[in-house]
Amino acid sequence: MNAARKGAVPARGAPAGLVRDLVLTGVFGLALFLAPTLLRDWFGQASVSYLSLGLRALAVALLALTWDMVARTGQLSLAHGAFYGAGAYTAAILLKNTGSPLWLGIPLAAVVGAVLALGLGAVTLRLFGIYFAIATLAFTEVLKAVVQEALPQAVAGGAAGINVPALFRPTFVPGEMERWEIAFLRNQSYFYVYAGILLLAIVVSVLIQRSRLRSAFTAIRTNEWVASVVGVNPARYKLLAFVLSSALVGMLGAVEAHRLGSAVPEGAFAVHVTVLALVTPIFGGLYTTVGPILAAGVLATIEETFKRSLSDGYMIAYGLVLVLAILFMPRGLMGLFRGLTRRMKRGPGPPSEASASPAAGGEETGA
Amino acid sequence: MSTVLEARDLAKNFGGLAAVTSLSFRVEAGEIFAIIGPNGAGKTTTLDLLSGMLAPTAGTVHLAGRDVTRLPPYARCHLGLGRAFQVVQPFPEMTVEENVLVGAQFGERSVSGAEARRRADEALERTGMDRLRDVPAEDLNLLQEKRLEIARALATNPEVLLLDEVMAGLRPAEAREAVTLVKQLNAEGVTVVFIEHVMPVVRDLAHRVLVMDYGRELAMGTYAEVTADERVVRAYLGEADGEAT
Repeated sequence: MNAARKGAVPARGAPAGLVRDLVLTGVFGLALFLAPTLLRDWFGQASVSYLSLGLRALAVALLALTWDMVARTGQLSLAHGAFYGAGAYTAAILLKNTGSPLWLGIPLAAVVGAVLALGLGAVTLRLFGIYFAIATLAFTEVLKAVVQEALPQAVAGGAAGINVPALFRPTFVPGEMERWEIAFLRNQSYFYVYAGILLLAIVVSVLIQRSRLRSAFTAIRTNEWVASVVGVNPARYKLLAFVLSSALVGMLGAVEAHRLGSAVPEGAFAVHVTVLALVTPIFGGLYTTVGPILAAGVLATIEETFKRSLSDGYMIAYGLVLVLAILFMPRGLMGLFRGLTRRMKRGPGPPSEASASPAAGGEETGA
Repeated sequence: MSTVLEARDLAKNFGGLAAVTSLSFRVEAGEIFAIIGPNGAGKTTTLDLLSGMLAPTAGTVHLAGRDVTRLPPYARCHLGLGRAFQVVQPFPEMTVEENVLVGAQFGERSVSGAEARRRADEALERTGMDRLRDVPAEDLNLLQEKRLEIARALATNPEVLLLDEVMAGLRPAEAREAVTLVKQLNAEGVTVVFIEHVMPVVRDLAHRVLVMDYGRELAMGTYAEVTADERVVRAYLGEADGEAT
């Protein structure tokens, strides 16, 4: 923002904030790339479970970040489960009924997600607030019913679902590796696929936050009518966010079906997918790229810890944490951090008109 | 002179209430056109119909010779219609600069990033808001909010600017500043349609005045003509005189 300020050298090419965010994304990508090997070296056999925790965190991060993209336009979507399920079934139906290459289901799931979002969005994005939410929730149920009841069982497998072949089948070499290393290699391969899709989503998110799309999204979220009066076409940008988000979730659904080995209506179109998708960004900090990802890591770790130490009833403790978090950190983890850094930078109290002229508060919070 | 904005037989009913009834007028290019009238006369509703916030029950709106009655607000904005609201409507989560940038980036169909920034800077300077560019819009006082409202509308690069009571609540010195700004804009070719209760402002600015009452045209003409009109005086029942002196 500051680069093009009066008197400063005009920015050429990409703005500094965008470059910084993309570099940070690269660093995060590198960390994800190194993580499995480091875990293996440090923890040996235990790394298998750390890696599955990592897989879960990556999947939740994807759900959360893509949900947040839609939320940035002021839409509360309860259709995340629908696009996740559509992705799972795209891969499943494709591989069951055609001799398609194993990997084709993933990009196709993105296309199906986008097309479904385009159709659903064209009809429902005219709805405001809670009506949109209800319509998207209904869409999830309709899609589940279509897959389970309307499509021929031979094609879509009915209530029993469809088996989906694994993407990776590491072979066990006796003498050269231990048993657990098979599970590790399998998890590692999926980890990279998940990480790849998440990085793609992060890049999309950063491009939104560092372009005029952010203005449009925020304006629409704040006041759709006023946004329209100053030239923003609300339907267009809401649809864009919805389509991008759904394409990415579709891909996740497809990969998950491969990893879990099946697409089943109850699992693929599960409500908990939708709930995770919206709770996580709220916990982390809405309308940011880092918040949903950070929250996914933190929440997955908390959940896993509770699961191990509390066994039965861990969901109660986990739910309690979420309720407390939402009550006491209304702006999520990011709000917490921002409050802290702001307090360290300058004393409390709102900026007065007089003190506001030199780049006070110029720090970008868009990432 | 050519007509840039025209209302033809506009009507708007809210349930059984006729807020605007068979209202017709033409605003010529380069004109400063005032709409006055008692509270509840349908002035803001008229602006809502012109800017596309409301769809008329009957009648049409024409912008630069084109029937825009069925066009949404953003499309009318792209055609050169800017608006500042009576109840100020900044985007509170954004800074002043970001607010104005929305108008600059989206006010026309395709604006380059550099051009948008230039327009935003210009709008901020002209409204005296450049010192406050990094202040969150939610921290502004009413006067600053009103300026921001105008700055954001200006940044859309309008040919016709609709101003809804932007002087209300301003101190005399501030109102004079605002009057000067409107005159400057008009001198640069911007057509202005404004609603105003402060009669001296109307007298100083308006080339023509439309007086509304009960959703209808009560009188139309120069300031001198309409204030001499007996029906107008009666409608105001001294209100106009009170504020004028």
